[in-house]
Amino acid sequence: MTILSINKLRKTFPSTPEDLVAISEFDLEINEGEFVCILGPSGCGKTTLLRMIAGLDFPTSGEIQINGKRITGPGSDRGMVFQEFALFPWRTVRRNVEFGLEIRGVPKGERKEISDRYIELVGLTGFENTHPYALSGGMKQRVGIARALANNPAILLMDEPFGALDAQTRNLMQKELLRIWSETKKTVVFITHSVDEAVFLADRIVVMTTRPSTIRNIFPISWERPRDRASVEFATLRKQILAQLEKEVQSVPAVP
Amino acid sequence: MVSHMSDGPLRYFKSLPKGLLENYARQLIITVVALVSFIAVWWAVALWQNLPYLPPPDKVFWALVESFTKQDASLGTDMWGNIAASLQRFAIGFIFAFLVAVPLGLVMGFFKIADSFFKPIVEIFRPMPPIAWVPIFLLIFGIYWGPVMVIFLGVLFPLLSSVIFGVKSVDKPLIDAAKTMGANRMQQFTKVVFPYTVPFLMTGITIGLGIGWMCIVAAEIIGAVGGGVGFYINYTKDLGRFDLMYAGMVVIAILGICTVGASRLIERRLNQRMGVK
Repeated sequence: MTILSINKLRKTFPSTPEDLVAISEFDLEINEGEFVCILGPSGCGKTTLLRMIAGLDFPTSGEIQINGKRITGPGSDRGMVFQEFALFPWRTVRRNVEFGLEIRGVPKGERKEISDRYIELVGLTGFENTHPYALSGGMKQRVGIARALANNPAILLMDEPFGALDAQTRNLMQKELLRIWSETKKTVVFITHSVDEAVFLADRIVVMTTRPSTIRNIFPISWERPRDRASVEFATLRKQILAQLEKEVQSVPAVP
Repeated sequence: MVSHMSDGPLRYFKSLPKGLLENYARQLIITVVALVSFIAVWWAVALWQNLPYLPPPDKVFWALVESFTKQDASLGTDMWGNIAASLQRFAIGFIFAFLVAVPLGLVMGFFKIADSFFKPIVEIFRPMPPIAWVPIFLLIFGIYWGPVMVIFLGVLFPLLSSVIFGVKSVDKPLIDAAKTMGANRMQQFTKVVFPYTVPFLMTGITIGLGIGWMCIVAAEIIGAVGGGVGFYINYTKDLGRFDLMYAGMVVIAILGICTVGASRLIERRLNQRMGVK
């Protein structure tokens, strides 16, 4: 069942001599429970796309619908995880996770129950009263994920969530995310520029073109998880996608 | 295992970076040497020149004792009373400045229109030394509220600037995060912008305390009712009791160090609490 549909999306930014077209002719449907990775060369408008789904930015034309309703702003049906974590530094882990619940006026006892559950889900039990500065990058992003999930959104939007982490932590967090995803059965839209990450995680990989961005290709992946990065099929698909991305980067006209 | 446990009490010191203790010790020794040299030079110059308005340190010390223990006949109070009068004035001026600067700064930082409106007005008054207002404030507000208003101005602008700066430097992703969790504009303000500003506010308070303290002496010298340390300095000068005058100056210095020191301590604690390490 389709949960998110993007129709004829176009986004331009004011610029001289003419407006900068970031995204154009973008159509995509995402199914409930699906894990979709959006992959593209840097500066292709991946983040702009995600921000429009989140309701933080608005399309110039076209529309995005969630469960048939047009998105007009942020809403608790979508949770977002940020590359730079965006945790509230003055709040402990627990109070970060409870932020959305506080906003919605959930009573204290219930808040604690919910935050306990999600803190446990992301493996941070014992760190409830720790402030973000005392956490490692991977742990910070665990808080970010728990905080987004605590609002019980239908869709989890992730903007290069592991981009700021070292390679080891990144691989671990990918596995953790798949575990959390299988336990919560959320729809995930995951932005990345790492082909490896996308092939490891996604049900479907959407490869974007350079500006003005549209969809270049969609790769469905039906393999079982956990996926073996060393397998032949993994390497073959990765190579195939990389080749497409390289062509995209080369097609960019040289900047004088 | 056993030997590891037995050095437990020492572990704290061993965990410190190498040379840190030596650095502290060296710093302390240098500080003491500096202070002793200063007093020695003062003493030498005082004895050598033998000027009435440059008493040697020992005389100032005993004057300090006298100022605290003996009531001044015509003032009807001792140094404690003067300190109380100054601190009271200072506190009232400070609280008023706080009550104006914090809301105004938050609004100016958050709403562009408010910033555009208030900025030109603020920029006219900000560069003026608060002391320039002393004469007219004494005329308008009298000898009690005049000095209070000078302190108010002295504290106001550093506080205001810090709050505006704090609001403007809020991390955009934090606002985005709050929005995606359903925070409306008011909640973004109370739950993100305001807490984010608190450490900046504390920095403003520390600077404001320093400037306000400088203003109080100048304001009290020109006029003050019910005493005050600044007033005392001018009063003992008129009496020709320069030793007492220096005692007043020492008290001002110590109180200044204490207020700013206390504020820095609170600032550090608060920064820890607010997650700014």
